[in-house]
Amino acid sequence: MTTATIARVEQSVRPTHRPGFTDLMRSEWTKLKTLRSTWWSLGMMIFVSLGFTIAACAVYTHEFPTLDAATQTQFRQDTIGLILQPGAQFAQLAVCVLGVLLIASEYSTGMIRATMLAAPRRTPALLAKAATFAGLVFVVAELVAIPSFFIGSAITSAHATTSITDLTNVRAILAFGVYMSVMGLIALAIGTLLRHPAAGISLVLALQFVVPGVLTLIPGSIGKHLSAATPSGASVMMSSGHNASNVYSPAMALLILLAWLAVLGAAALTSIKKRDV
Amino acid sequence: MTTTVANHRVPAVEARGLTKSYGGKTVVNDLTFSVQAGRVTGFLGPNGAGKSTTMRLLLGLERPDSGEALIEGRPYAELSAPLSHVGALLEAKAFHQGRSARNHLLALAQSQALPARRVDEVLDIVGLNDAAEQRAGGYSLGMSQRLGLAAALLGDPRIVLLDEPVNGLDPEGILWIRNLMKKLAAQGRAVLVSSHLMNEMAVTADHLLVIGQGRLLADCTTAEFIERHTDPEVYAATPAVARPALLEEAFMRLTANAVQYAAR
Repeated sequence: MTTATIARVEQSVRPTHRPGFTDLMRSEWTKLKTLRSTWWSLGMMIFVSLGFTIAACAVYTHEFPTLDAATQTQFRQDTIGLILQPGAQFAQLAVCVLGVLLIASEYSTGMIRATMLAAPRRTPALLAKAATFAGLVFVVAELVAIPSFFIGSAITSAHATTSITDLTNVRAILAFGVYMSVMGLIALAIGTLLRHPAAGISLVLALQFVVPGVLTLIPGSIGKHLSAATPSGASVMMSSGHNASNVYSPAMALLILLAWLAVLGAAALTSIKKRDV
Repeated sequence: MTTTVANHRVPAVEARGLTKSYGGKTVVNDLTFSVQAGRVTGFLGPNGAGKSTTMRLLLGLERPDSGEALIEGRPYAELSAPLSHVGALLEAKAFHQGRSARNHLLALAQSQALPARRVDEVLDIVGLNDAAEQRAGGYSLGMSQRLGLAAALLGDPRIVLLDEPVNGLDPEGILWIRNLMKKLAAQGRAVLVSSHLMNEMAVTADHLLVIGQGRLLADCTTAEFIERHTDPEVYAATPAVARPALLEEAFMRLTANAVQYAAR
C-alpha cells in the first residue's frame, strides 16, 4: 500500500470554516463598497431620478388644462406611471454604467485574476457579485422610489389622487427597485461578455436609448411591439396597468425584462467559465 | 502497512503534457514536470518561452488544449480554499487601481474565510503598512509587487508561485525577497519562481526548470545544470565558490537555439 504524503508545513493561518457562497458575497460587498465609482453612480442615480420625477410631474401638472382629453385620461388613470417612469428612464443610465464597470474594470485593471485565483470555479464569484450588486441597487432604488412617490403625488394632487394605501401604487414602487436591479444585472452580463469598459457602456447605452427608437421605425404594430419589448420598454412595469398607450401589461413587462436577463445572464455565466483570463 | 516513501509523494505542483496554443502558435508544448516541496525551483527561459502562460495554466486562469495541471494532485479549480494551498504573484498587476491595499486584501481574505487580522499580518510582512490606506493605483512598481506578494502570502500557502517577483524592487527589496523565498522553502513549502536574472537565480534556486519555445530543456539541480551546460574547460578552471556565476553562460548556451526575440 502506498500512502501519499504532502510535506507537512506549519500553517499559522487557516480558514475559519470551509469558505462558501456567503464568504464570496462578503468579499464582493467589500469590493463594491470600496470603489468610488459605486457611490458616484448611485449618487447620480438618486439625483437624476428625483430631478426628473419633479420636473416631469411639475410640467404635466402645469400643462394639464392644455392637454387633450386622451392625455388627461392617461394622466388620471396612470399617475403612478407618470411619477415613476421618467425618473427611472434616466436613472437607469447610472445603474447600467455601474453594472458594466463592476466587472469590466476587473478585466481592465487585472483584478479579475485575483478574483479568479480566489474563486477558481468562477461562476459562484460572478453570482455573488450579481447578488450583492442587485441587492444594493434595489435598496437604493427604493430609497429613491418612496420619496419620489410622495413628492410626485403632492405635485400632481391638483388633478389626480394617488394613495400609498392603493396596492397598485405599492406594487409600482417595488417594481421601480426590481427594474433598476435587473437593469443593473443586464449591464453586468454585458460587461462580462465584452470585458471592456468603453465597449460595454456603449453597447448598454445603445440597447437602452438607441435600439427602442430604431425599432419604432418598423411600420405597423410590429415596430411598436418590438420597441416595447426592449429592456427600457419594460419600465411599463411601474405603471398602473390602465394606460391605453402601453403595449404590454406591467406583469408582461416584468417577464420581458427577466427574459432579457435570462438570455444575457446565461451567456455571461458560460463566457466567464470558459474563457481564459 | 504505512510505508510512506519519497517516491510516492504527491508533487506540490505537477504539469502533465501541458499544451497551449494561441491562433495556431504553440506557446506551451507538451510540458511535463513537477515541483517539489522544501526547495526553491527556478523557472527560467528566454522572453516568450511560455513561463507566464505555464503559470497561468497551473493556476487555472487558462485552460490547456491538452494535458493537465495539478496542485497537490488536484486541478486548481477543485481547491475549496485555494489561497491556503497556493499563493501566486503574477507578472501583471492583479488588483483594482481604485482600491486601497487594505481593502483589496480584506476582500480576498473574506473570500477564503480567513480572519481579518491576517490582512495586517501580511501588510506587515511586505512592509506596506504605511501605504495600506492609499489607492493602489498610486503605487510604484516596487510597491505594487509588494502588494502582489501580500496577496500571495495571505492564505499562508503551502505552495508559492512567483512570476518575476523582483521586478521593480530596490536592492533591499531584492535581498528581502531572496531571503523570503529561502525561508518559505526551508519551512517545507514549494516555491516556483520565474526570473530573467541569472545571478539572482544562481544564489536562490536549488532546482531549475528551463524552457525554451514552450518545451522543457532542463530539469535538474542548479549545480548540475551549471556543470552540464558550461564549457568544460571554463567549468574546470572556475573555483567551486565562483561556479554559481557560470549560470548565465550555461543558460545562454542551452537556450541559444530557443531564443525567439533577439537583438541582431
